[in-house]
Amino acid sequence: MLGMIIRRLVALVPVLLLVSFGVFMLSTLVPGDAAVTLAGGDSATIERIEEVREQLGLDDPLLEQYLRWLGDAVRLDFGTSLYGGSLSVWDEISARIPVTFGLALLALLIGVVVGVPVGIAAAMRPGGILDRLCLVTTSIGIAVPNFFVAMLLITVFAVNLGWLPALGFTRFTDDPLEWLRTMILPATSLALFPAAALARQVRAALIDVLQSNYVRTAWASGGSPVRVVGKHALKNAGIPAVTVLGLQLTALIGGAVIIEQLFSIPGLGSYMLRALSQSDLPVIQGVTITFVVMHVLLNLLVDISYGFLNPKVRVS
Amino acid sequence: MAAAVYLVLLLLAAIFAPLVATHDPAELAVGKPFSGPAAAHWLGTDDLGRDLWSRLVYGARVSMKTGLQIIVLALAASVPVGLFSGYRGGKVDNVIMRIMDALSSVPALVLALAIVGVLGPGLTNASIAIAIAVTPGFVRFVRGQTLAVRQETFVEASHSLGTRERTILRKRILPNVASPLIVTVALASGAVLIAESGLSLLGLGSQPPESSWGSMLQRGYQVILTHPWQVIVPGTALALTVLAFNLLGDGLRDALGLGVPKAVGLRGRLGLTTVAPRPDLAPEAPATDGPAPLLTVSGLTVEFVTEAGPVTVVDDVGFSVAPGEVLGIVGESGSGKSVTSLSIMRLIPSPPGRIVRGSVVFDGRDLLTLPFAEMRKVRGNDISMVFQDPMTSLNPAYTVGNLLGEAVRLHQDVNRAGARARALELLELVGIPDPKRRLDDYPHQLSGGMRQRVLIAMALSSRPRLLIADEPTTALDVTVQAQILDLLRSLQAEFGMAIIFVTHDLGVVADLCDRVLVMYAGQVVEQASVTDLFERPRHPYTQGLLRAMPQVAGRSERLVAIRGTVPPPTALPAGCRFHPRCDHATDACRAEPVELLVRGDRPVRCVLSEELVP
Repeated sequence: MLGMIIRRLVALVPVLLLVSFGVFMLSTLVPGDAAVTLAGGDSATIERIEEVREQLGLDDPLLEQYLRWLGDAVRLDFGTSLYGGSLSVWDEISARIPVTFGLALLALLIGVVVGVPVGIAAAMRPGGILDRLCLVTTSIGIAVPNFFVAMLLITVFAVNLGWLPALGFTRFTDDPLEWLRTMILPATSLALFPAAALARQVRAALIDVLQSNYVRTAWASGGSPVRVVGKHALKNAGIPAVTVLGLQLTALIGGAVIIEQLFSIPGLGSYMLRALSQSDLPVIQGVTITFVVMHVLLNLLVDISYGFLNPKVRVS
Repeated sequence: MAAAVYLVLLLLAAIFAPLVATHDPAELAVGKPFSGPAAAHWLGTDDLGRDLWSRLVYGARVSMKTGLQIIVLALAASVPVGLFSGYRGGKVDNVIMRIMDALSSVPALVLALAIVGVLGPGLTNASIAIAIAVTPGFVRFVRGQTLAVRQETFVEASHSLGTRERTILRKRILPNVASPLIVTVALASGAVLIAESGLSLLGLGSQPPESSWGSMLQRGYQVILTHPWQVIVPGTALALTVLAFNLLGDGLRDALGLGVPKAVGLRGRLGLTTVAPRPDLAPEAPATDGPAPLLTVSGLTVEFVTEAGPVTVVDDVGFSVAPGEVLGIVGESGSGKSVTSLSIMRLIPSPPGRIVRGSVVFDGRDLLTLPFAEMRKVRGNDISMVFQDPMTSLNPAYTVGNLLGEAVRLHQDVNRAGARARALELLELVGIPDPKRRLDDYPHQLSGGMRQRVLIAMALSSRPRLLIADEPTTALDVTVQAQILDLLRSLQAEFGMAIIFVTHDLGVVADLCDRVLVMYAGQVVEQASVTDLFERPRHPYTQGLLRAMPQVAGRSERLVAIRGTVPPPTALPAGCRFHPRCDHATDACRAEPVELLVRGDRPVRCVLSEELVP
């Protein structure tokens, strides 16, 4: 088990190196003279251009630039924003990670609470009414983009019913209840897709497992449907579902960008968008790397939990 | 189907936008701002009084064109790379896949944003960014397909004929990769459309005056608090289109036979075979006279519902078992013996199976009429079952102690500690060495023979009066087979339970059974005591089985296998079901089905049985 984790961590190194190189190379993609563009284009003053050039070290050889940048990045130093501010990029990022993470986790929670029972219900009678209903609703859940769901939810619950706020954000640490109130709409709009994906995964896995020989053994021992499905089938069907769950969480963190913007939530996504509109390269690079590291670490976590759930991996 | 029609209409509308639109989409104030749907403006107008329907149609044009560009761009990049990587393999493949790993470790939207961020906003840059973001998925898919196709014989054949690699790739591999790729592309189209709309919604995609559905959403969102209609129109169009692409992809996958076959819709209950008497079959009166046997099966008929209609797999099977008796059911694979044994405890899954006729009377009660709750009290308690495949019949997620303890507690009122003590006893009973340690083992830590012992222990946990053993030794190697048989024999002697022993091995029957039922193609063809059967087999099928048995044929004679195979239940021959494989078949055998009648000293399903007795 520990050996596997270490092996996986080592395997991450080349991937992360490649990504960091790619992210660094973004600066060379900037059209024209990077320093001019980044300083604000034609309207920029000479001093400002030189300041940017100085700050990013754009005159040094590329490899030297990269190594310096990488050396700083592994120490979580992504520099400071081109647009001043006393906070370093990392300070800003670390303040925003819990916001995005909280949103994604709440969305995932809603997705699990809705998706898993729907999947179980559908698997009880493949081809039955519930199953067909599940197929239709999950098709819709997968097709409707989360930002449109968000708009519909705002229209219904914020505008027409006035139950929940359409915008705004409260820190969880300041007021958990208010946090929940402001998070319900964004989290629900994000949750629709993972709920549908999870329902389908659970349904398929459960149908598969219910046909297995060991489930037949459980029936033959005189088990009740609740016991056979709940104890014998669900645990085995849950192992692949955990994989989907982890993939959904990583997708949610990346997918939250638009939702954060729509609901004015100060997470990583809106930070990135603000940086984009200003071509604020250090911020773009820093946030992208942060997303990648979160992504690969979550995937690793999924693999570990997979091993933990599966006795064949755990005990040997 | 509906999805394809919708997409074609949408495409036509996009191409012929000037004809479909009622107004110039950019013309200001053709109506009052924010007017609702009306005859003059089908979908109303926007904030500047522009006609929404026309804007939607022209928006479709932009969205579809952009989507197409992205797909073409991504395919142009990924197909050659994927083909090359999968075909070449080795180091090249490794490097390419690592790059794809790196690319896909950046969340797609973030990757697209970062690229747009440095290239600058605009539809072209957004398209490039999205194309780059979807490329790793495509490359991986094409590579996987190529790898699979490359190993097929026709590709290897071209290779050995000296065909040039490029020709092999283009003529042999690409066509085979293409059709699954179309499905993937259809499914990706929806995601691409969402991505483009998302970027435009953020103001990073299409710029005015060109406006895609995404930029209509962006405009609409600014007035959502007062005029939600402005987002509902483009949003619904987008959602419908994505749905159509997804359905199209699913439909194509099914049409190309790449998906999972659909289960036939049939009502059934989880864990209990449906009993649905067929009106065209005369009902079987449960046998009540004579000395009360433990179990009497009569007229048992089982169907499997398939896409081609119901197929009868067990046809009018009847037998009885006395307390303490060991009955063998023999026959080749496909004879219906396993289905018969599973039907007794109603363990055939419905769908596809259902019992359409017959009765299974155990201890005076017809099990086929019991409600589930009553059936559960019989299962594992009065009647137990041991299955063919011990490797897959134990739940891999629980320890042996847990599974055994559960079997105990299902029918006995004991606490957790009591169940564990009983589980330990049971493991000792079935001869598992070091049982205390084994209790905490998972099934995968045990050998096949040990697992079968555990399953036997589970079956015996409540001292059943009838044990059904469905080929319990088939999956085990020979020495282990003998051990398990010895175990069953000694347990039978100890507890005096009745056993139904299903097997294709007549040697085992001779060893263990009192009486034998021979089955062929879903029917009973002969029933006799073990001595009678081995000394004077009456049915040619039984005779054939005996001739194929080394112990009976002896050293001097050659072993003769029965020619041909058991016919599938969908293609049964007319007349006697065995006649195509029978050396004695006459015209009479081909003409009429043969009844199971007492001929001579026992029930036999053969018109020649009396002449053929050796």
